Amino acid sequence: MSEVNEEERNVGLAEEKDTKTDKKIIHVMIVVSALFLSLITFLLYINLFKTEEYAQNPYNPRQWSEERHIKRGDIYDRNGVVLATSEFEKEGVQRRIYPEGNLYSHIIGYSSRVYGKSNLEMEYNSELLGKNDFSISFDNVKQGSSLNLTIDNRIQKYAREQMKGRKGAVVAMNPSTGEIIAMVSLPDYDPSSEALEEEWKNLAESEDYALLPRATQGLYAPGSTFKILTSAAVYENDLEDTVLEDTGGFEKDGIKVANYNDKVYGEMDLKQSFEVSSNQMFCELAYNMGGDTILEMAERFGINKEIKFDLKTEVSRIEYDKMYNMDAAMVGIGQGKLLVTPLQMAMIGATIANDGIMMKPYLVDSVERANGTVISETQIKSLGKVLDYDTAGFVRELMVGSVEAGTSVRASIRGIQVAGKTGTAENETNKTHSWFVGFAPAERAEICVAVILEYDGTTGGSTAAPIGGNVIKKYLESAGKN
Amino acid sequence: MKLRNGYIMPVLLMLLGALMGFGLLYMRNDYNINIIYTGLIIECLFIVVCSIVVFTRMGDKFLVLFSFMLISIGMLMICRLDIERGLKQIVWVGIGFVAFFGAYLVYYFIDIWEDYWYLYVGLSVILFVLTLTIGRTVNGSKNWIGIGSFAFQPSEIIKILYIMFLSCHYSGAWTKPIKEKITPSIMTAIVTYLFIGFLVLQRDWGTILVLFSIYIFMIYVYEKNPLFLAVNVGAALVVAFLGYKFMHHIQLRVTAWLNPWEHIEDIGYQVTQSLFAISAGGYFGKGLGNGTPYHIPEVHTDFIFSAICEEMGVFVGAAVVLLFFLLAYRCFKIALKATNPYNKSVGLGVTLMFSLQCFIIIGGVIKFIPLTGITLPFVSYGGSSMVVSFISLGIMQAISAREERGERSE
Repeated sequence: MSEVNEEERNVGLAEEKDTKTDKKIIHVMIVVSALFLSLITFLLYINLFKTEEYAQNPYNPRQWSEERHIKRGDIYDRNGVVLATSEFEKEGVQRRIYPEGNLYSHIIGYSSRVYGKSNLEMEYNSELLGKNDFSISFDNVKQGSSLNLTIDNRIQKYAREQMKGRKGAVVAMNPSTGEIIAMVSLPDYDPSSEALEEEWKNLAESEDYALLPRATQGLYAPGSTFKILTSAAVYENDLEDTVLEDTGGFEKDGIKVANYNDKVYGEMDLKQSFEVSSNQMFCELAYNMGGDTILEMAERFGINKEIKFDLKTEVSRIEYDKMYNMDAAMVGIGQGKLLVTPLQMAMIGATIANDGIMMKPYLVDSVERANGTVISETQIKSLGKVLDYDTAGFVRELMVGSVEAGTSVRASIRGIQVAGKTGTAENETNKTHSWFVGFAPAERAEICVAVILEYDGTTGGSTAAPIGGNVIKKYLESAGKN
Repeated sequence: MKLRNGYIMPVLLMLLGALMGFGLLYMRNDYNINIIYTGLIIECLFIVVCSIVVFTRMGDKFLVLFSFMLISIGMLMICRLDIERGLKQIVWVGIGFVAFFGAYLVYYFIDIWEDYWYLYVGLSVILFVLTLTIGRTVNGSKNWIGIGSFAFQPSEIIKILYIMFLSCHYSGAWTKPIKEKITPSIMTAIVTYLFIGFLVLQRDWGTILVLFSIYIFMIYVYEKNPLFLAVNVGAALVVAFLGYKFMHHIQLRVTAWLNPWEHIEDIGYQVTQSLFAISAGGYFGKGLGNGTPYHIPEVHTDFIFSAICEEMGVFVGAAVVLLFFLLAYRCFKIALKATNPYNKSVGLGVTLMFSLQCFIIIGGVIKFIPLTGITLPFVSYGGSSMVVSFISLGIMQAISAREERGERSE
């Protein structure tokens, strides 16, 4: 009896040991499964988030192996002027040629074996290599697609000349379509491969940040050009009839904001204040409307939000955790913790010009196969209604006044009504940024321009406004003569 | 035995897939007839092996299915990279199948494996010493033995010997301490660290990782004393840390893993080229023959997975991982079902070997873990790897057959 029991117990023990081992084997199985799953997850992660970065790495030989056989597509301006083209130097080696030299370094960028690709050369790399063109593999067409830009080469060239080598940016766009007509960033550089190889170290380390595309990625205090926004808020809050005794500056909570050059204007209404760009008036109004109102208005105009564009853009921003009335007063005149890109300012001006509707900016009008058939065409797209018709009209009138009788007078053009606003923005240095934002013809605008001269130390009215006016004039003159 | 659609359909699909793959390769390679032969040989081998496995009731039917799928993906890639190598590899696949049946028969009919732990150790040590004395250095690792024009990697065989050695102890067959003092647990630890020492001399880091991980998992499953596991893991961590501090080779590998981009021209070159290839393929790949996998060093052996991802896409890459997953799952099942403790232990060891080898090399080439060069079983080019993978598979098959036929070897 006891023997049987012993045996039974032994069998029981063995079975218990077995199940215990099996349990642990199942643990191991779970760990191994987790290892396999982590491999798949990591593979998908690479494919989802890293592909772009790896594909653009200049050490990636694939970038060039494709270009051994496929001629990189050309890039044209809106009138068919060649801005970038390629030719085979010898079997399997092609050279990228930029006939306009520095002019498009911040739009088209470069395509270098050593330093990789930038700007449109990077963003549109697959199109330029014809990767989306399935006919290539069948017809043996060894040429990538070409890009047709919205840029007008004449205006681009002219705008760059007007800057006379000063640092800054000019952005010109069509307010009703969003087409970018010209976009200059200075300083620029020679994007050809030979020049890059020679100059790279200087460029990469330059104190002028020559590789920075200022128009899309430069962040600046907008100064008084921001009063365009503040005025829109004023009208929406029915404060447009405010009249104020200007005593030379705004003073509250122990903080004083003087008018430019400490000018005292005396009693004035909103229109007059906009013309002379009185800080006191706009600080006062913004202070009374409060932080939330100003912030809400700014965000309607796309601040704190990324601009979807053909090139990389920096986000224009208002950086307060909580915006108090005093912060609103500062932001109301384009100072404080507020930074914008020149492209953003051009879009704000264009929204006023386009009766309050903001259009999505774009640079690439169409992608075209080597045989001329269009593969894709950019559709004009509205980013939504920012202001209603009346508000936009009201602000436009203020801007017309600024050009006719105010600080923007040097942007005026004979026979054409121009609307505009200047800005002289204080920053961390003692040299101000000079701004101008304007459009014409005021009632039916064909072009809106934003100009900034960074750390120029001059007033927007004396330097930026004439550049803006000239660019507008040049465009309106040449528009009929394509 | 009845065959259901659930088995016939995948077999037909795989035959079709391989046929299409090799057909495409044939057309893209100036109609090189050798490619068609290679494809046909693989298909015939598979049909023959599958039939034998199914109709002679050799246990689990799915193991050959998964390994054949891996082989056909691997062969397709090897032929695409270099048809000469493809022709050599097909010979190895043939030899592999012979080894598969050989291992199956030997393991199935001989039943004295658990008594000879010292033989496995002795044989391994002889192989190690031979490698170190007459071995050849390939890519910085002295882990080849050449006999005439024929060369093989002893470390591949040692992996199996090691698993069989471990199982002697963990199956409970070997309980007698040596000279009354050294218990089998201590002895296995000593042998493990001895093997690792030899492998350090050979600079075969990948094999060290495989062996040591198998050992740790085995301890976890079988050792009753949790302290033993803790001591071993702790010792490993200390050794790894010291190795990282003082061993140049390990430092390089870690640096190349953490930031290959800064060292892209030297130590980071391999893994960055591999990442370039993987990202170039996207989800569906560039198509067989459309990529440029030649930029990756060692593309036909250690880095074959990157080439697969480039030309067949990340989805096929994930499918390869899933095939290993399935293979491991079936093997785990066999190990769980096995009633003979020795078979259970060997089954677990072989399963771990397949899984860990897959994880270590794929994890390495996608920069998930530091890269250590080992082959991807059934997929990479190389005779020793192929034959030993087949031997392991044959052993698994034998274990499963024994169980299925209800034969207990007690």
